[in-house]
Amino acid sequence: MEFLQLAINGIALGAAYALVALGFVLILNATGAVNFAQGDLVAAGGFLAVALAGFLPVPGLLLLPLVVILMAGLGLAVSAAAYWPLRDRPPVAVFISTIALGIVIQNGLNGLFGAEPRAAPPLFSGGHLEFFGLVIARQSLAIMGVAALLIGGVQLLLKHTQLGRRLRATAQDREVAAALGVPVGAMVALTFALAAALAGVAGLLLANQFFITPTHGTDFIVKAYIAVVIGGWGRVGGALAGAMLVALFETVVAAWTDYAVATGLLYAALLTILVFRPQGLFGEAEGRRA
Amino acid sequence: MAEALLTVAGLTVAYADVRAVEGVDLNVSAGEVVALIGANGAGKSSLLKGLMGLEARVQGNITFAGSDLAGLSPLRRARLGIGYVPEGRRVFPGMTAEENLLVASREDSAARTVRTAEMYALFPQLAVRRHAPAWQLSGGEQQMLAVARALMTRPRLLLVDEPTLGLAPATAQSVIRVLRGIAASGAAVLLAEQNARAALATADRAVLMRLGRIEASGTAKAIAGDERLLRSLMGG
Ligand SMILES: Nc1ncnc2c1ncn2[C@@H]1O[C@H](COP(=O)(O)OP(=O)(O)OP(=O)(O)O)[C@@H](O)[C@H]1O
Ligand SMILES: [Mg+2]
Repeated sequence: MEFLQLAINGIALGAAYALVALGFVLILNATGAVNFAQGDLVAAGGFLAVALAGFLPVPGLLLLPLVVILMAGLGLAVSAAAYWPLRDRPPVAVFISTIALGIVIQNGLNGLFGAEPRAAPPLFSGGHLEFFGLVIARQSLAIMGVAALLIGGVQLLLKHTQLGRRLRATAQDREVAAALGVPVGAMVALTFALAAALAGVAGLLLANQFFITPTHGTDFIVKAYIAVVIGGWGRVGGALAGAMLVALFETVVAAWTDYAVATGLLYAALLTILVFRPQGLFGEAEGRRA
Repeated sequence: MAEALLTVAGLTVAYADVRAVEGVDLNVSAGEVVALIGANGAGKSSLLKGLMGLEARVQGNITFAGSDLAGLSPLRRARLGIGYVPEGRRVFPGMTAEENLLVASREDSAARTVRTAEMYALFPQLAVRRHAPAWQLSGGEQQMLAVARALMTRPRLLLVDEPTLGLAPATAQSVIRVLRGIAASGAAVLLAEQNARAALATADRAVLMRLGRIEASGTAKAIAGDERLLRSLMGG
């Protein structure tokens, strides 16, 4: 029973991490670069929700569309500042510029909100539900629901729309996509917008249960990075599964041992995977990538 | 003679340490297949990339359908009606054959579906493999897909880079036949080939390249008849 309880908390946490990791992978595929600011965008989304709640005392669910729109705008700004000027340079240049941008975001949040932990409103309302003796936070259920909808929505977009095909073609061969008339610059900018929106939603979701501080972003990017390595660099499905695994370590394994031991075990698992399956746990399941 | 669809004058394409194309003059008219023949490293691919806007260091004049292409991005050139079949096929590996076709279309969804069906009529083998990821297709199927993908854009000029390389003769023939058909329907085709025999058998005119320059040009028939010229060109 206790295991089930923990597993549910872990899955909810993993669902939020999955949003972060999904955005990370989309940018990785579109540009070849690691967007190190993705974690700070989670923090930015959390604080944006905190700030919006100050003006609009409504449930988080109603703030969610605002967070999506504003964060997408911030994503466009990130691509304009950290990617566009360096688009013809090696991906490592973009990686470094996103590190710098992440620091700017951290300091900006610190200046605006201070270093104190803050909490965003819950999606519906706080409190718990009881099922057969399981006590489940409403917010956990809401996180799972929202994340599942968003992840499903992104999959639908990528697989079944012309825009999604263009995003994927840009990720797989930018030069050829351009030669076929795909507006590749706009596709990359949109990918940044999408990734920032996903990070922002994760921030809104997590800032209720776990609070948020301006430097919290570093935690999130490390977790997303681990999830993507475990899942197979660049694989969407793998990253989602990797995010779940990271969160289950943090909840289930941490409850059996303690948080520090669980983190140590997670890194040990990561190293083991890198040594024995460098292509990631889910490296072959989805077929070859560009 | 009618105005050429594509006119190239004094085209030079340079890389950091070499000039891959130097002072090339060329024109291609609607309805004709022009073969661009040359050995390894002659500069065929660099010329096509220069025309498509994929190389940074390009000099000279390119006029397409009355527009000066100088400074235009590949995107703009594609939208003016230039289609491109890259060397080595370069299909989008993680997308299905059908998605590779659909993504290239700039029409609405209904027209896209119609055009896809036309491509399947042209290459029935692609219809069979439509739901397979492109990386799983055979080399010949990938080549057909790369040609069909470019045709999805309804180009007025098709640039095709070595479409028969590595293909079984029958497959190579069917790809070449399709190119002939495209020209018959009024588009212009510029076909780069090392395989001089196959290219000359299809083309109306031919241009022979060596070391970035045009060595000779004329009707495909005249060039095909000049054994000595061909042998010296392909020999080195
Ligand atoms: N990206 C590049 N950077 C530097 N040099 C290049 C590049 N691409 C081609 N070259 C050089 O330019 C010259 C022409 O090459 P190109 O690929 O255009 O020839 P090609 O006729 O297409 O040959 P092939 O039949 O082998 O495809 C060669 O000397 C080649 O080494
Ligand atoms: Mg070539």
